[in-house]
Amino acid sequence: MSSKLERASIGQGIHLGAVRDPKFKHNLLSASFVLPLSEKDVSDNAVTPYILRKGCRECPDFSSLNARLAGLYGAALDADITKFGGWQVLELSIRGLDNRFALENEDVTTQCAELLASVLLDPKLDGKGLFDEKDTALERQYVLDTIEAQINDKRAYARSQCIKHMCAGEPNAVRRYGSIETARAITPESAVRAYRRMVETAPVELIFVGSGDSARFAQVFQKRFGQVRRSPLQLERMRPREKADKVRERVEHMDLSQSKLVMGMRTGGAAGPRELQARRVFSALYGGTPFSKLFLNVREKLSLCYYCASRFDVSTGLITVESGVEAKNSDKARQEVLRQLKAVQEGGFDETELANTKLLLKNSIRSTGDTLTGLQGWYMAQVLRGRNDSPEEDAAQIEAVTRDEVIEAARAVTLDTVYFLTGNEEEAQ
Amino acid sequence: MKQIKSVRLGESYTRIDHSSGLTLLLCPMVGFSSAYALFATKYGSVDSCFKTGLDDDFTQVPAGIAHYLEHKMFESEQGDAFARYAATGANANAYTSFDRTAYLFSCSDHFAESLDILLDFVTDPYFTEQTVEKERGIIAQEIKMYDDSPEWRVFFNMLGAMYHENPVRVDIAGTVESIAEIDEKLLYRCYNTFYNLRNMVLCVAGGFDPDTVVKAADRILKPAGELKVERRKFHEPSTVRERKVEQVLPVAQPLFHIGFKGVAGASEAQNLYHQTLDELLVEIIAGEASPLYRRLYDQGLINQTFSGEAMASRDYALCFFAGESRDPEQVHVQLVQEIERLKLEGIPEEVFRRCQKALYGRYMSIYGNVNAVAGLMLTCHFAGIEMYELLDVIANATLGGLQDRMLQSFDTDKCSISVVTSGA
Repeated sequence: MSSKLERASIGQGIHLGAVRDPKFKHNLLSASFVLPLSEKDVSDNAVTPYILRKGCRECPDFSSLNARLAGLYGAALDADITKFGGWQVLELSIRGLDNRFALENEDVTTQCAELLASVLLDPKLDGKGLFDEKDTALERQYVLDTIEAQINDKRAYARSQCIKHMCAGEPNAVRRYGSIETARAITPESAVRAYRRMVETAPVELIFVGSGDSARFAQVFQKRFGQVRRSPLQLERMRPREKADKVRERVEHMDLSQSKLVMGMRTGGAAGPRELQARRVFSALYGGTPFSKLFLNVREKLSLCYYCASRFDVSTGLITVESGVEAKNSDKARQEVLRQLKAVQEGGFDETELANTKLLLKNSIRSTGDTLTGLQGWYMAQVLRGRNDSPEEDAAQIEAVTRDEVIEAARAVTLDTVYFLTGNEEEAQ
Repeated sequence: MKQIKSVRLGESYTRIDHSSGLTLLLCPMVGFSSAYALFATKYGSVDSCFKTGLDDDFTQVPAGIAHYLEHKMFESEQGDAFARYAATGANANAYTSFDRTAYLFSCSDHFAESLDILLDFVTDPYFTEQTVEKERGIIAQEIKMYDDSPEWRVFFNMLGAMYHENPVRVDIAGTVESIAEIDEKLLYRCYNTFYNLRNMVLCVAGGFDPDTVVKAADRILKPAGELKVERRKFHEPSTVRERKVEQVLPVAQPLFHIGFKGVAGASEAQNLYHQTLDELLVEIIAGEASPLYRRLYDQGLINQTFSGEAMASRDYALCFFAGESRDPEQVHVQLVQEIERLKLEGIPEEVFRRCQKALYGRYMSIYGNVNAVAGLMLTCHFAGIEMYELLDVIANATLGGLQDRMLQSFDTDKCSISVVTSGA
């Protein structure tokens, strides 16, 4: 049972979408602010939701805000920063128990909506209209820690390094939290400027998912945003480069026992909805399932690595093929990855493989409607893509992709960057 | 057949003791498109020394064998189970933890076909010398991946420091050396001992028809023989083995785990009730609204990665706090101080009420999530209790009971700290 997002404008550059489903026991309210990714502003933007999360005028103290949330049946107030192509998305959300299950008949949903609105639009500022110095310093440190902690997860680190090299000079190369340099430069002044940018100029997407009354959420936000003077930006969509001109190679050394090979590929220029779905199916057939070409050949047949998978990013049109290999096997793995790409380009797959790939994709698409975060993430991605397809509609589009379209998508793929993260030289010997 | 109801939620699930010996726990959930099935055996990495009715003495098996077996189960004479699932579109997987091995799939269509595959391949082992050999390289790569993961290492180093004998201190996947000793004979032996339907459970939640499950079980499952397995008991001292362990790995800033060794209860059921109360204590001691959290945060000693957890199973119970810090030792000191203060001054009534509500709300979200419901039915079943009892444990908790519990589960003398640093 996947209902459609009902989306309407509730202010200048502000949209509110809602999906109601009585099966949920909680309600999730999210507010997302979309800004262009730029090296200059990225860290100031990123720190802002975290500073806001520390308190608001009515709960000026971190502990009092958290105590309030605990009293609302452990409502979760979360800040999150994501990237979508050349955009940076700043999000604050609150998830609270639906009123039906409150032990003392409290109106948890309205209180959650009010609290989220206060955190967003009624922040705690000092006499000079700035964020608290201490809060800013702590959250700046958190952003710095997050940037530095990227090396803890070697797989994700290798992927992001590959993309950084591949997209040098494009907005997409900018990391979602920025760099150590831009994060160090965060001050209460720069963060407040980012905050103004966010509430006054960023297109805003409010999403309600849950079993409760979304109209209350709409009322609260319409009223609160009514007091903000806004001049929303017109955002430009990223135009991905069509293909690679030559293959770039990058090697990095680190103290580790399993090497990571990431191959970054381009999939052709801007695509219509149908082509985009063909690219998704191609990537899944190539390396996105446990019966894909890469899994069956690179891992199962040749036992070259523990994982070997391809990942297609709809927002950038890039494919990354990632594998964890022993250093001595990396060349073999790389050749096999390319050999399998060639096989798909030449139509080396049968109807069953294609049908099974589509079946798996449709299966996971349909399952997104069963969790609040799944649904919220789904519709947020739809809105960012400029669409409003339900999971059911998306599944139907996947089903419609033909064999020829998959081959065509495969043929447009070019290898751009090979990134290899490996052990220190003496250990590699 | 038994209907298990929650008055609080107005929901229920069904328990069926199937003629084959397998327990079926079925929780259809209205409005959900996906179904999630877990077929699990009460056999995990800690079951490393056992004997059956036929043996004179206990056998010690190599570390990592339960996990190795999990990998090998996917193969059969008819081919790979993943290849069979491919035709149904299900998302299939498996995992091995300390006390269980579970095979699972999630799907939004073709439920009956996927269920047939699940029941079939888990009850039909097939391995030869060659197929066992082939897997060794893949598992070795998986182990190396864990060796490179600071989050994984800091956790297992903590367990290694806390426990002297309990096999919970050993890595689930074993080591490259220990898996070298595994062969098909040992795998069959473990299979025949623990993959007895009387030692297993099938949990299904979400959008599915219970009748389909019963019919599949009738058709595929053969009656299991008597279950005769004895796990070796070991003497675990109540003290911790080491108070501090450190490992050097490339990390941005030190990672820490601080563990408190609790007293395992008389039964698995009791351990699970206690674990739920311990979760409440973790929230009271260092939850986001606690004074300690605030102090540590304001001093820049912890960041948002900080969290606390209670974990318990057959013969262990512990609580730990984890995060990143420039000065993990200082976090340790302040944590111990706060626990001692709370023991001395008592937990304020309003703090208790607030944390109780928070945990209640959090558990509610488990009951509203298909995958989580299946997982909770499983956990509760292996502990011998029913799924909704935990919600009552939270709602019925008392301040007095909790203060007593704190003395058991937060003995600051039985505490180990594990740190991973870059060594710089």
